[in-house]
Amino acid sequence: MRNLCFCLVVLSLYACGPNKNAAEQAILDSVDSIAVETPEISEDVIADIIQQIPSPLEISVLLKESGSAYDNSILNPDDMVSNYNNNYSKALNMGIYGTDLGYTNIYKENQDALGYIGSIRDLADGLNIGQFFDFSTIRKLATNSNNLDSLLLITTKNFNKINAYLQDQKRSNLSILLLTGGWLEALHITCQVYQKNPDNVVLKEKIGEQKIILEQIQLLLSLYESDPNIKGLSAKLKDLQQVFDQIEITTTYAESTFQEVDGVLMIVDNSTSSINITDKNVADITSITAAIRNNIIN
Amino acid sequence: MKKIIFAISFLSLLTLVAPSTFAQCDADEFAEACIPNLKDGFNFVKSYSIDGEGGSKTKVEYSYVFAKGTQYFISICSGAEETDGIVVSLYDSTRKLVSTSDANGKLYSAIGYPCNATGIYYIQFTFKGSTNHCGGAVLGFKR
Repeated sequence: MRNLCFCLVVLSLYACGPNKNAAEQAILDSVDSIAVETPEISEDVIADIIQQIPSPLEISVLLKESGSAYDNSILNPDDMVSNYNNNYSKALNMGIYGTDLGYTNIYKENQDALGYIGSIRDLADGLNIGQFFDFSTIRKLATNSNNLDSLLLITTKNFNKINAYLQDQKRSNLSILLLTGGWLEALHITCQVYQKNPDNVVLKEKIGEQKIILEQIQLLLSLYESDPNIKGLSAKLKDLQQVFDQIEITTTYAESTFQEVDGVLMIVDNSTSSINITDKNVADITSITAAIRNNIIN
Repeated sequence: MKKIIFAISFLSLLTLVAPSTFAQCDADEFAEACIPNLKDGFNFVKSYSIDGEGGSKTKVEYSYVFAKGTQYFISICSGAEETDGIVVSLYDSTRKLVSTSDANGKLYSAIGYPCNATGIYYIQFTFKGSTNHCGGAVLGFKR
């Protein structure tokens, strides 16, 4: 009988192995300002939707390559961290700062990048995810413009790791807020740059394309509407969605072909998509985005 | 009673051994090692773990929103020679096959995709005569 008991204890201990201990769980519970009910949809499905949201870096690269000059006045100043007192605010603004850091990195603005690294460190610590950043290495890399590719790589990898960690810890709501903040800031920056370059059709289409991303973000936020903060954010984004609903994205399908180039299979995409977006649509998106963002950063 | 103890001990042994079999696939490590394989000019965006769980999983799928006017590059890595039978196939939002790395009678370790149509795309990894059913991949982009 003693052996039987021993086996059962071993089994139960093993079953508990990969889980967090009580103290760690208590810390994790305490960092979420509001108890969030886990949505009925599986974490795997949530993770699938989260990982399909494109990196805000894509927009920063587009802005630089479109020839627009660096403008830090359109970013969230890096000294606002003390205003962000709850996890909802910290996660959203960490996403915003992540996009701002990517923007400064792409333009090789080292001093500004250092400021954003500091802000992200403070918010990451506040959210108990500071362990993913080796800030001394990041700071060293940021002080030399030759290392900016490495800096970009490290910060992108870290944000990916944080997202995976939060999902693993069943804190996907924070992961979604990080992504939402990052996306909103990228949209804001694009709108602001477009205002100064109204003839840039690529930027205009890029704004219209965000219809697809917003649909995914709204889908994710809808899973956490038991959280009043997320419900409020989702309601504000619905105003934005109403404008995006007026934008038409049409895809004409044609079979692709391929060719080998330097050992790589290069696909030749024969499909096309067109985006029907008016100046009024862009103006509405610009003002609603700015209003939502101001509410988050102030 | 002895039989019960034996059965429980056997079960506990199985439980302990089973996860270690899958743990042999360090897909994250392969994905990380794959980052330098991105072609010059491409920015890293995502890494993907490809764990076929010893052959019990026939496909591993991810999705990503590709944007018109952007070039994407997917590189596959595995511990074995070449891709160890790992195939990447790209499907558009309507699940139509855009292309696959299983072409021209061989398996390419990398594919490039200059996107002309913005939308959700599905990046599907399958195994063709794979030994380890384990690998990683990275996604990069450039304008």
